[in-house]
Amino acid sequence: MNLFVLLKQVPGTSNVKMDEKTGTMVRTDHENVINPLDENALEAALELKRSIDGSKVTVVSMGPPPASRALKEAIAMGADEAHLLCHRGFAGSDTLATARALALAIEHVAGRELGPSDLVLCGERATDGETGQVGPMISAMLDIAVATYVRGIEVKEDHVVVERVVEEGFERVRLPLPALVTVVKDINQPGFPTLAGKLAAKAAPVPLLTPDDLGLTRDTVGLSGSPTRVVQVFRPKFARDTVLRQQDSGGAAVDSLVDLLIEKEVI
Amino acid sequence: MGRYTAVTSRIVDELKRILDPARVVTDPEKLAPYAHDEVSEAAYVRMPDVVVKPNTTAEVSDILQLANRENIPVTPRGAGTGLSAGCVPMYGGIVLSLENMNRVIEVDTRNLFMVVEPGVTTGEVQKIAREQGLLYAGDPCSSESSQIGGNLAENAGGNKAVKYGTTSKHVYGLEVVMPTGEIVTTGGKCVKDVTGYDLVHLFVGSEGTLGVITKAWLKLLPLPKFRVDLLAPFDDMQKAIEVVPRVMTESGIVPTAVEFMDSLSIRAAEMYLNSSLPHSDAAAYLIIELEGSSEEQVEAEYEAIGNLCIESGALEVYVADNLATQDRIWKARKCVAEALRVVSPVYCMEDITVPTSEIPELLWSISQISKELDVKIPAFGHAGDGNIHATLLREGMDDATWETVKEKALHEMYTATYQHGGNLSGEHGIGAKRLVPLERFVDRAQIQVIKSIKAALDPNLILNPGKIVHMD
Amino acid sequence: MEYSGVLVVGEQRGGSVHSVTYELLARGRTLADKLGVGLACVVIGHELEAFGREIVERGADIVYLIDDPCLEWFIPRRYSAELAALIEQIRPEIVLAAATTAGRTLMPHVAAKLDTGLTADCTGLDIDDKERLLLQTRPAIGGNVMATIKTPSARPQMATVRPKSARPLPRDLGRQGEIVVRAAACDDAQCAGECLLGFVRDTSQDVSVQDAEIVVAGGKGLKSRDNFRMVEELAGLLGAAVGATRDVVDLGWIGYPHQIGLSGKTVSPRLYVAIGLSGTIQHLAGMQTSETIVAINKDKDAQIFRVADYGIVGDLFEVVPELIDKIRAAKNARLCGAR
Repeated sequence: MNLFVLLKQVPGTSNVKMDEKTGTMVRTDHENVINPLDENALEAALELKRSIDGSKVTVVSMGPPPASRALKEAIAMGADEAHLLCHRGFAGSDTLATARALALAIEHVAGRELGPSDLVLCGERATDGETGQVGPMISAMLDIAVATYVRGIEVKEDHVVVERVVEEGFERVRLPLPALVTVVKDINQPGFPTLAGKLAAKAAPVPLLTPDDLGLTRDTVGLSGSPTRVVQVFRPKFARDTVLRQQDSGGAAVDSLVDLLIEKEVI
Repeated sequence: MGRYTAVTSRIVDELKRILDPARVVTDPEKLAPYAHDEVSEAAYVRMPDVVVKPNTTAEVSDILQLANRENIPVTPRGAGTGLSAGCVPMYGGIVLSLENMNRVIEVDTRNLFMVVEPGVTTGEVQKIAREQGLLYAGDPCSSESSQIGGNLAENAGGNKAVKYGTTSKHVYGLEVVMPTGEIVTTGGKCVKDVTGYDLVHLFVGSEGTLGVITKAWLKLLPLPKFRVDLLAPFDDMQKAIEVVPRVMTESGIVPTAVEFMDSLSIRAAEMYLNSSLPHSDAAAYLIIELEGSSEEQVEAEYEAIGNLCIESGALEVYVADNLATQDRIWKARKCVAEALRVVSPVYCMEDITVPTSEIPELLWSISQISKELDVKIPAFGHAGDGNIHATLLREGMDDATWETVKEKALHEMYTATYQHGGNLSGEHGIGAKRLVPLERFVDRAQIQVIKSIKAALDPNLILNPGKIVHMD
Repeated sequence: MEYSGVLVVGEQRGGSVHSVTYELLARGRTLADKLGVGLACVVIGHELEAFGREIVERGADIVYLIDDPCLEWFIPRRYSAELAALIEQIRPEIVLAAATTAGRTLMPHVAAKLDTGLTADCTGLDIDDKERLLLQTRPAIGGNVMATIKTPSARPQMATVRPKSARPLPRDLGRQGEIVVRAAACDDAQCAGECLLGFVRDTSQDVSVQDAEIVVAGGKGLKSRDNFRMVEELAGLLGAAVGATRDVVDLGWIGYPHQIGLSGKTVSPRLYVAIGLSGTIQHLAGMQTSETIVAINKDKDAQIFRVADYGIVGDLFEVVPELIDKIRAAKNARLCGAR
């Protein structure tokens, strides 16, 4: 089975601060990690590889040169090969432009259109953008079946059966291959790279792909290939007349709160 | 107990004249959180009569003068995360909580110092340093909530002691209020300073029995740029522990941390975190942290140490070189104390310390004691510095059995510790909890010196009585 | 044909219209009125006939019910084909759907087919008066700031909207509108073999924080799973659902269904009590439309106080037990008084 895993690098901490005066991001910690749900996707692919002889795991990412670290980490965990879409031209891509590039990249590294032994996996969303759009968009572009919010995958002859987590329960869905699945945290526990894996990854190449390699023209990639524009970034203002009280040994602060709860008829 | 005067309403009124009355607490419900630390046994819970929360050194001085004059015991307190009942008011009286004195006075990036008040949390100190590209190397497991004043008073150790030493190594100056109310400043930003006795290190680790720390000059270090954690599971504890001296000597590398967990600790952590750990059926985990200024150096070091582990029989060696995987490893290690509490709400966590070469022998002795007395004694801790947290679990025992088993087990464990050239406590301190064993196991002449110092600095014995040694 | 009008994508679940449809209609109505255009609503599924009337009463001018046995369950490719075909037929300038598991799957699929932009999880929608463009506002950069996004030239402008981030319009029984019922338009040969095998309703997942009138939520300030029980106790006392921050869920103190915020659920209860949580924008995005917000935190500068109606600055380990006691006392007093 050919397993394609899409990885994104995200900031290692959610403590991104904003400079109140300039409105710009202050990153106290520059370290990036693999998007946690993409790690689950990788682990799911590695589990399938372990259970199905002759399987191969290919990881693909788009990002600046340091993103190759995430790909090397994937190799250390057991992925067979890695490709990085890395070029100034990709910068500024929104979800549609990103999906377009990754969809082409998957076929490019496969060397063909996807067929009945191919499965694409990625996290349901990334912790930085939190859109969860790229996966379903890629499936539409490749015209393959898709299942989102997946917490279990069983591979059958020419199809897979997945379990999806939805609002009121769980769905079991049959998907013909090729297909794309986006996974949630429940699916597994990501492993750790081993020493042997790390040493192997050090020597492994991470080939770079450019828009040209994928046949993308200027107006289909990066900012100019993106239909959406961020027009403003701001810190939200909240308009509430907050009554703020200091906790006191006399109990007055809690007393007023209890009065408020009575007034609101919750007690 | 007859030595001390009770806290009367007149005393409370006087305290309310020294401090804003809102910072003088007498409501029994609000006193309860100040009656204990993290020791889970009822014998080490005592209600204070009053809790005061000074904002300034001058207020601390006034409070101590009043207490000294009126003969009322005063117990200084940080976040209450201690493990020896050091901040428990064994004679009631006043608990002096330094939680409000939580200002960071100065971050001196030219001399690499941070000047702080005692109520700043250790985590905050670490974070502020990190934001400047610097390291505060003190790192007890409770760092998220513990306060720096408590770290200093107890000379907290923690995970990085292998490379950086304990809290005492990171403090160069103190402002201390003496039991009589005088304010003493000793040391400061001078790296070399032998002007008189080394009073800084007399107060550090004195468990709040000699003075109240109101300000500290902490040394910062350059923040190592690269860090790697190795997790090596072993099918045999002896094999795991025997790697440690080889890492420390043969490899020529000083790791930042070398920690271990035994199988009970691993399984407790796994249950507590509700997530599977790799090779959780292993008999032991060894966690080794390496830091350095270049990636190549750290890579070469982890390769060397990783291979050493495999040669020595590690089932596998996992490498964590990013925040995500590192967090997963350290979460498992740092949650053990809490996790064991879930297994057995009452337990007795010990803190014995031996020369590192003696760890295998001592762990073997502990496993014998566990078998002989039929009590589970999971062990985890700091393999790199010989500090072992062997923890007796009460589980389903009735009161009488638990007391008997505990006393026997502790006696045998301490005896074994001393046979291996060890000592009672590596980092948790004596407090009220180990006062009796200290008198039994520690040299009389040494105890006498401790008593002489105490008597000289605290003539009325009002400061944190009932800790370290009995003065009566 | 010019793109004009607003289309909202409704949802049906278990034989009825999901209430999120009415929230979308309220959003859609505001936008359509600003633009001076019509509001359409589409529901895809099976046995939908009964649904049309209320959708009109809740604000739609025209309702498309795409009703076919093959559409009984949500199969993304099938639904996407139908929705894309309808959009190409009626050419709306704006398409909105709910940010549910279905909406968040269907909309990107359709956007990719139509080669247009899509903004996920919007909490605010408005019209730029000058350019008549949709302004799509959502939390960004890990939820620490808000970003406003436009789709300048591609059409339609598409967005998913957080459930519970708007209130439905009241039913207007006299409201007139057109209802169009039709069968699936697309050949489903390409979806052969793609089907739902089963559905297991799981109530343990359904803690219904979203439907609760009162939510009591706790953050990392509780310090341990044991202490977190205080939150549960207070919730029990108030008949409230228990909420939690992402940190707390990551620590395993409580399950994911309780998570409130951008990566969890959005709630809009009558009363929201926030305990020991600082209020990351992440979290605020999930609860700031609550009617009354009460916060207890020891840091007076905590962001949660910015959205709170009433805040107590203090140690939660003092405040919460005191509050629990006093609520108990107040309830007892009330009971005794009633007798």
